[in-house]
Amino acid sequence: MSKLTNLQGNRACVLGAIEAGCRFFAGYPITPSSEIAENMAKELPAVAGTFVQMEDELASMAAVIGASVGGARAMTATSGPGFSLMQENIGYAAMTETPCVIINVMRGGPSTGMPTRPSQADIMQARWGTHGDYSAILLTPWSVGEIYTETQRAFGLSEALRVPVVVAFDESIAHLVESVDLASAVSKKGMIRKKAVGDNKSFAPYAVTDDCIPPMALPGDGFRTHTTGLTHGEDGFPTQEPLAAERAVGRLLEKIRVNQSRIERYESSHCAGADIVIVAYGITARAACLAQEQLQAAGIQCGVFRPQTLWPFPELAFRKSIESAGHVLVPEMNAGQLLVEIQRLAAASDKSVAGLNRIDGENISPSMIVERVEAFLDE
Amino acid sequence: MSGIEIRFSGSGGQGLQLVARILGEEFSAKQRYVAISQGYEPTSRGGLSRADLVIGDQGKTSYPLVSRLDYLVILDQVAVAASKGLVHADTLIIADCERVTEPPSGAGKYLQLPLVKEALAAGTSRAVNIVSLGALVSCSRVCDPDALVDKISSSVPQRFIDMNIDAYQRGLTLGLDEKAV
Repeated sequence: MSKLTNLQGNRACVLGAIEAGCRFFAGYPITPSSEIAENMAKELPAVAGTFVQMEDELASMAAVIGASVGGARAMTATSGPGFSLMQENIGYAAMTETPCVIINVMRGGPSTGMPTRPSQADIMQARWGTHGDYSAILLTPWSVGEIYTETQRAFGLSEALRVPVVVAFDESIAHLVESVDLASAVSKKGMIRKKAVGDNKSFAPYAVTDDCIPPMALPGDGFRTHTTGLTHGEDGFPTQEPLAAERAVGRLLEKIRVNQSRIERYESSHCAGADIVIVAYGITARAACLAQEQLQAAGIQCGVFRPQTLWPFPELAFRKSIESAGHVLVPEMNAGQLLVEIQRLAAASDKSVAGLNRIDGENISPSMIVERVEAFLDE
Repeated sequence: MSGIEIRFSGSGGQGLQLVARILGEEFSAKQRYVAISQGYEPTSRGGLSRADLVIGDQGKTSYPLVSRLDYLVILDQVAVAASKGLVHADTLIIADCERVTEPPSGAGKYLQLPLVKEALAAGTSRAVNIVSLGALVSCSRVCDPDALVDKISSSVPQRFIDMNIDAYQRGLTLGLDEKAV
């Protein structure tokens, strides 16, 4: 029988990261993510890792990228205002294809907002926060146990695909203490960085490969490489030649598209034959599941679709999940961010799509969802 | 859900997070999933403080925040208002008879117990959290009362172990007396 351990969400994130091989953390503590930095400072030295408290979040993100270029599995953790400051360097990581993991414990915003209250209002920032065209990966765990496993998965995806991966959860789960089975480590198969091998003279650090993931050279390996945020050719050096520029940016987007099946993860519960499907993520999905039980007991055919990988959104699976439903409800602790995406995906259908939103720093309760579903079906 | 919902509430500094953690460890040791949440804001250092437990079915990820309390411990009047709406006909409330003057209405059973008085008899009013844990466990039997003794001992500083065990026993006795009534 597995052994259960009671863990706080932020600590589970740290243990998951270390289990995944994280050996470098640079950050600037900020509520409600501070326990991640605190626990990293305790745990990393024990595994010969490095913890650095930086002067701010811009430098934190830069240090993480530097450590990763040097070969370490590296991460940082922050909350809303810090996540905003990190955006430029997250773009640098995307452009240079440097693996890294960013934890964003969501609190009320904008600006300093409500530091101690939960929110889900950073999901579009995670998708579009840095400038330019790029594709982001965002994982949205719903429990302490899933913070443990999804943080591990974030490292695997980041290393394998050479992309920054954001894991976002709200203050409620971050500070929740919950029973976790620490034996639930994620398989690392296929989740390691492709390293440069072969002839070092002909090595091209940004070569086009079938899976759009170029092998990565590490300092000291003997391969000539060049790392820049400027648009670069296959040799890594800056170029503004139109065809090379289009190929370079296009491959960043194509890389996520061709590897989507490796990235996406979702749960679909009782969606086949449902009259209404609730689309929810994070702690709101747990409210949705309890609401679903109560609605089903009342004779309402209700499904729940939960994207664990929020970006790229599992579009095909979602479309299949709402085939029978006339109504789609999107509860979230923001003013309607995923709602816009769901409306776009359902635009060609005759589905009626609505949101249930809270921006007051309080969680959406199961009873709120039950009431909204009943009213929605009567409309 | 078919689980159990418990709230310890009072004013900041009364040790509510500690008793929630002790009780939570007992549930997870018995392979029951537990979720513990707390008030997370500056008032937890003096104003309203709370620690909530939701004990769920094995292996099931359920909603982790309280919505219908089965057991509510109140150690200070300042905490009463926060639990309105969570109390129902099956809720058992255990409140300190001196510090709580107006309990929330609608509970199935309301016990006013001399929790602070017994804590003082054990040595300090700061042990009221452990007294209330004893009273809750003996009234509710949510877990084996004896199982918590070791967990309390390992959760408090060495020099306060005897005092806390005394406080726990006093709480158990209060609960047993009430059960007999």
